[in-house]
Amino acid sequence: MKTCVLGSFPKIPAGSGASVRSAVQRFERGAIGPRELSTTFRDVTARVVNLADAAHLDVTTDGQIRWYDLFDPLARDIDNFRPSGLLRLFDNNFYYRHPVITGRLQFQGGTLAAWTREAAALSRIPLKVALPGPFTVLALSEDQSYRDRARWLADVVDVLRLEADSLTGTGAVEVQWDEPALAALPGAERGEVRDVYAALTGGAQLVQSIALYWGLSARWLGGLEGLPVARVYVDAVSDPAVLAALAETVWPFEVGAGLLDARSVRAENPDEVLSRLEPVLRRQGADRVWLHPSSGLELLPPDRAEQKVLALGAIKNLINGQKGR
Amino acid sequence: MAKTLQTTSVGSFPKPPSLQAARARFRRGEITRDELRAAEREATRTVIAVQEDLGYDVLVHGEMERGDMVAYFAENWSGFTESLPVRSYGNRYYRKPIVEAAVGNGGRAGLTVESWRFASQLTAKPVKGMLTGPYTICDWSYNAYYPDRRSLVLALAELVHEEAKALENAGAEYIQIDEPALSVRPEEIDLAIEAMDIVTRGLRAHTVSHVCYGRFESIYPRLLDLPVDQLDLEAANGHYALLDLIGRYPWPHNKELALGVVDVHSHRTESVDEVKAGIRRALEIVPADKLYIDPDCGLKTRTWDEALAKLTVVAEAARAVREEAGWA
Repeated sequence: MKTCVLGSFPKIPAGSGASVRSAVQRFERGAIGPRELSTTFRDVTARVVNLADAAHLDVTTDGQIRWYDLFDPLARDIDNFRPSGLLRLFDNNFYYRHPVITGRLQFQGGTLAAWTREAAALSRIPLKVALPGPFTVLALSEDQSYRDRARWLADVVDVLRLEADSLTGTGAVEVQWDEPALAALPGAERGEVRDVYAALTGGAQLVQSIALYWGLSARWLGGLEGLPVARVYVDAVSDPAVLAALAETVWPFEVGAGLLDARSVRAENPDEVLSRLEPVLRRQGADRVWLHPSSGLELLPPDRAEQKVLALGAIKNLINGQKGR
Repeated sequence: MAKTLQTTSVGSFPKPPSLQAARARFRRGEITRDELRAAEREATRTVIAVQEDLGYDVLVHGEMERGDMVAYFAENWSGFTESLPVRSYGNRYYRKPIVEAAVGNGGRAGLTVESWRFASQLTAKPVKGMLTGPYTICDWSYNAYYPDRRSLVLALAELVHEEAKALENAGAEYIQIDEPALSVRPEEIDLAIEAMDIVTRGLRAHTVSHVCYGRFESIYPRLLDLPVDQLDLEAANGHYALLDLIGRYPWPHNKELALGVVDVHSHRTESVDEVKAGIRRALEIVPADKLYIDPDCGLKTRTWDEALAKLTVVAEAARAVREEAGWA
């Protein structure tokens, strides 16, 4: 069994150490310059990937330390994709700048690739990049230009594919498409999801994965069969029933079980996690199962987020030790 | 004739530099709690004076004694501990409460009365008693004690009700129970309504609930069943798309709407004409005597100058629309 995180991580330390929060405050007051601010982002990113290394994760993200929100790199890399007013991110007390589409989308690139190259150089373990998938982009942004959903979606897929391709050679090993909108909101149609993901992931150079969280994900598993997607990560906290789907059917992709609640400070009992995961391990085969938090960890205070990452390592040791895996 | 297009404010004001300095000195142990309280009262005087000068009708005390609308109650009630800071957006962080035991008032019944009473003595106009609703306190806390969200929400509802009664007994004519978290989980709106029913049970005061920044389309028109006299909703941040939704249904004759017409998450100050246009759109849906005008949300994220500029625009736009309609 393998372990990973899904995306974001707190930008402040649990104890002493570099803090994006205080660096930004000092930068805005003029107390530090752009170089010191950039160094802070780098130091905090290093802390995140070093924690993942200490927990013996198999794959990590960079914690999205430089990101304002999940759309930030897209807003920087894509023309006419402009951050606007604050909206609540699903049912979280966290707010994102909802993107407004002001013209035909054009990929310029550069920012995310640079951030990823920096993080990959810092990390001793493989690094993946989590990007919002096309259905989440459409659900959370506002079109003021296309006025034709099909054309808008086609261009979104195109620019996201270009963004993903730009990560080739940066050191990243995987692109994870985050689709909370598919899990949390009604409306998407299975055939369209298949077509879109075939176009988005077909022929991609980096490993492709999909993360479904903050809602119901079991219903999507069947629709993702046959796509060039190596892994599907699901949120078993929001949708405990998904574990039955993972325990009953052998899926053609690797599966990730989000059993550590990324929105609760309660520490999971390793034995309980093990007992819930056991049927999945038996059905899928341990080498095809990932354990991870239910979503990104930035919704937790830094001490609890760290505990969740370290718990991943402890539970992996427990499972692999007991089962000789 | 009933007063039309009354102006109000949602709750928090930015803390003036003098109070920010006092809070920092208090954290460093350089001043006493009494000295901090004195600084808070001085800031409250300024907040009331600003609203009086601008001609606002229903005032707020500005929440100078509160850091965060949920954390304030958690810090003073029992059953809560405090987390390390958690980011809410941009570079804004808050200490998210953790419910670690059964919640209670911690011997602080009537917690909000003193600040309300002080502000009320500074003006002849009504000052709203400000509370955070049980659903939002639950949603913006980590629950590490109660078996489920419902148990926690209903336990908190009793506490907020006690507080509302204390404000009413002290003389508050308006009591606002903020529920900004209400708009994100449509499957729990019945729970939020049940909890608000507990909070407002038996109150004679004019009750208000502020809800913002969510997917209103998922809870509307059920939101109209929230048992309060006035709904206070943000519109400017969403370019008034909210009015399209509200306009699909008849506005209930027994409900008031307080409409947010300036974006509190933008540094830009709206023009009077922009705000007037928003008010006129709202008047097509809600009768003037049922419509209040205010900023989208609390102003604490703005600088003092920005907040003043936005409040000025709200007041001027409301006054201009009143005059143009012959209501002044």
